[in-house]
Amino acid sequence: MAGPLSGLRVVDVSIMAAGPWIGSLLGELGAEVIKVEPPAGDGTRWVEPLQHGMGTNYMCLNVNKRGITLDFKNPGDRNAALDLTATADIFIQNFRGGVIDRLGLGYAAVVARNPRIIYCSVSGFGEAGPLRNEACADFIMQAYSGFARLNGEPGEALEAFRFTGFIDLTTSIVATEGILAALVERENTGKGQKLEVSMLQAALEMQFPRIAEMLGSGEAPRPHGSASAILAPDRGYTTLDGEVFVTVHTPAEWHGFCAAIERPDLAADARFDSNPQRVANREALDAVVAPLIAARPSIWWMRAFQRRKVPCALSHNFEQLRYHAQIRDNGMAPVVHTRDWGDVVVGGLPWHFSATPGEVLPPPIPGADTAAVLEELARHKAATSGVESA
Amino acid sequence: MSARPVLKGITVVEAASGLAGPMAGCRLADLGANVVKVEWDDGDWMRQCPPFLKDRTSADFFALNRGKRGVLLGAEPKQRAALLRRLVETADVFITDQDSDGLAALGLEGADAETCAWNPRLIVAQISALGREGPLAGMPGSELGAQAMAGYTRYVGTLGKQSIRLGADVAGASTAIFTTQAVLAALFSRRRTGRGQRVDLSLLNSLVAMKTVHLAAQSDPDSFEGPRVGGAYDPPERGWKTADAPITFAFGGAVGAEGRPGWTQFVEAVGLSRLLEDPRFDKTGRMTTGLGPKARELKGEYEAEFTKRPSAEVIAQVRKFGGFASAYLSHDQLLDEPQVQALEIVRDVPQGDATVRVLDFPVKFSGSKPEVQGQAPRLGEHTQDVTRELGLAEETAARSRA
Repeated sequence: MAGPLSGLRVVDVSIMAAGPWIGSLLGELGAEVIKVEPPAGDGTRWVEPLQHGMGTNYMCLNVNKRGITLDFKNPGDRNAALDLTATADIFIQNFRGGVIDRLGLGYAAVVARNPRIIYCSVSGFGEAGPLRNEACADFIMQAYSGFARLNGEPGEALEAFRFTGFIDLTTSIVATEGILAALVERENTGKGQKLEVSMLQAALEMQFPRIAEMLGSGEAPRPHGSASAILAPDRGYTTLDGEVFVTVHTPAEWHGFCAAIERPDLAADARFDSNPQRVANREALDAVVAPLIAARPSIWWMRAFQRRKVPCALSHNFEQLRYHAQIRDNGMAPVVHTRDWGDVVVGGLPWHFSATPGEVLPPPIPGADTAAVLEELARHKAATSGVESA
Repeated sequence: MSARPVLKGITVVEAASGLAGPMAGCRLADLGANVVKVEWDDGDWMRQCPPFLKDRTSADFFALNRGKRGVLLGAEPKQRAALLRRLVETADVFITDQDSDGLAALGLEGADAETCAWNPRLIVAQISALGREGPLAGMPGSELGAQAMAGYTRYVGTLGKQSIRLGADVAGASTAIFTTQAVLAALFSRRRTGRGQRVDLSLLNSLVAMKTVHLAAQSDPDSFEGPRVGGAYDPPERGWKTADAPITFAFGGAVGAEGRPGWTQFVEAVGLSRLLEDPRFDKTGRMTTGLGPKARELKGEYEAEFTKRPSAEVIAQVRKFGGFASAYLSHDQLLDEPQVQALEIVRDVPQGDATVRVLDFPVKFSGSKPEVQGQAPRLGEHTQDVTRELGLAEETAARSRA
C-alpha cells in the first residue's frame, strides 16, 4: 500500500551517500523520486565492493528511485533540470558550497519557478563559517565532530568506527526529519522553504546525550570500553565461551540482575543501591560480577537474565543477523531483486506505518529512465503552458 | 516567513523513558508542539543518570525533557487509567515505549490498534527494543544490546579481544530521529485522510536500517576489498600520525570512476614525490587514502613525511589541493572551533534560575524557526495543572512530589 508521501515528487541531484539516502527514505515513504546523475556517474558506482560490476553502495543508497542522466554543463539539460524542479515538491542537492548556484539550480532560481519547493541543501560543515566550502566524508566528520573520541578502551584517546557511512546516513535521516517538518509547514502556509543540513550538526545530534552531559557538567566525554557513561551495570562481560551484553536501567532490573547472578545480597549493598552509586562504584561492582559471569557459558546467562526480564544480548555477525528470525519477521533486512546485479540485502523500513506502510523498491539502472522522464516532462509542459504562474 | 511554529496546536503525550521516545518528544516540542510527559512510580530512569546539573537534575534528563510538562500518575490503577485515558483521548500524538500489555495495564487498551477506535485521529509511535513481530517481541532491550545484535560492536575494538561499544548512543538517537520522522509523516498523511495510525519503531530495526551499506556490501561481493567487507576484521583505526595529532584525509571519489585530480600535487607539496613512481599507489589517491582498500597497509608511507609536520599544516595542504581532511578533535576543541560558533549550533536555555547550553534543532530552515525550549519538569510538576485543564477532579491525580 502507498506510503504517507504518495503523490509527492522528489528531484535528487545529489551523489555519494549523505544526499542520496534522503531520496531513498522519501521513496520508501511513498514519494516518486527521480535521481539525476551526471554523465560521469555517481562515484558510488565504483566504490568497493562491487556486485556483478556495480558498487553495492550505489544499489543500497538509491533504492526507490528512477534514474536519469543530465549534463548540467549543457544548457538544454540544465533547462530540463530546472523544468523538473518546477514539477517537484522536494529538491535535494549536496554539491560543494557555491557550485549549485553556478549550475543554475541554486535556491533563488528554483524557488522563482516553484514557490512550494522544499529545497534541501546538504553540506559537510554548514553554509556559514570558514569551512563552509570544504567537502567532507563520513570518516572526516567522525574525526571532526568528536564521534571517534567516544570509542575505545578506558584511557585510550579515540578510535574510528570502521563501519562506513554511518555519519552520512545520520545526515540523511536528520535531513529527512527536516523535510517532513517543512512538508507539515507547507500544509499550514502553502509555501516551501530552504533547508540547510550539515554532516556536522547531524553528527552532533547522533551524540545527543554525550553532548548534553558535557554541556551540563563541563567535562568532556571519553571512551569507556563496552561500558556506558551513564548506567551500571551496562557492558559486555566475558563468559565461559564468549561474551554477553547486559544492561540495567531500573531498580526492578537491578534486583533481577542480582537474582540472576545469584547474589541477592548485592541488592542490599549501599554502594550499589542506586544507579548513580553503581556508576560511581562500577569498579567495585565489576570486581564482584565479572568473575561470576566468566564461570558460565553465554547461553546460561541469556536464560538467567531473560527469566528476570533483564536486557541482555549476544553479538551477531552478518550471516547470523541476516537469517535471524527477529530480523526476518520484522522485515529489517529485505532482499531486493535487481535486473542486472543479482539480489542485494538492504536495510529495511525503519518505521512501520499501519495504514500507509510504504515499501522498499530496487535501485535504478543509471540513466535508464531518462527518455521516459523527459517525455513526461514535455507532456506536462504542453498541458500547463501559459498557466504556470501559480 | 511563518509567524507560528510548525506544530502549534499539536498535543503530544509521551509515555516513554530513556533516550528514543523522550528525544523525539523534545524535538517535537522544539517545533512548537505541546508535549506532556507522563511518568509513574519513580519516573523516567534517565532522571537517575549522571552527571547532574547544579540543581541535581540529570544533565541528560534535562536536555531530553526540557520544554515539556510533567504529569505523575497516581499509584491506584483506576486513577491512572482515568487521567491517562483522558489525556490520550484529547491528544494528536502518543509516543510510548510500552507494548500492548503495558498499555492495557495503564488503561489504554486498544491505543495501539491500527487506528485507535476511541481516538481515530490519534497517531501512535510505539517504540520497542527488538520489533513488534518475531520471537523476541516484548523482550526488554537496551542501547548496548541493539549495538551488539546489529553487529555494530564488531566494527570497533580488536578482533578476539573484549568488545567495546560505540560511545554515542546510536540506537537510541537514530530511533528518536526515525520516531520524529514517523510522527511528522503521519501528521502529513492525516491532513489528507483525516485518520491517525500506529507506527512501529525499534532500536534494533533502526540500527539495521542504518546498516544498509554493510548489508549490501556483504550480500554477494565480487571481491573481499575495503572496509565495507573487511572492517570487522581490521585493527583499531586511529588515522595517520603527524608531528602532533592524528588526522584523517582522502583524495578521489565523488564523481566518476577516478574522481578529481589533486593527489599528485599534494604528495609533491608534502615531500612525498617518491610515491609518484611507486606502483603501489594509484595516481588519484583513491585507493590509498580515506577508506581506499590499500589505505591501511600503506599508511606508513604517508606517515614518514606527515610526522615531520604539524597536523594543521598537513590538513591545510590536503584542502589546498581539493582533498578532505580533519584532525580527531576532542569535544573541548570542537566547541571552540570558529566553524561551530559561526553555525550557532549550541544555544542557551533556562533551567530553574540557571542557564544551560543545549544543541539547537539540527536543521536550519529559511522559514520555520524551531525554538529550543528550557525547563525540564520535576516529577509530577504539572500534574494538577494538566488535571484541571482536562476537567478532571484533582483527587484523580497524585499530588506532585516536587
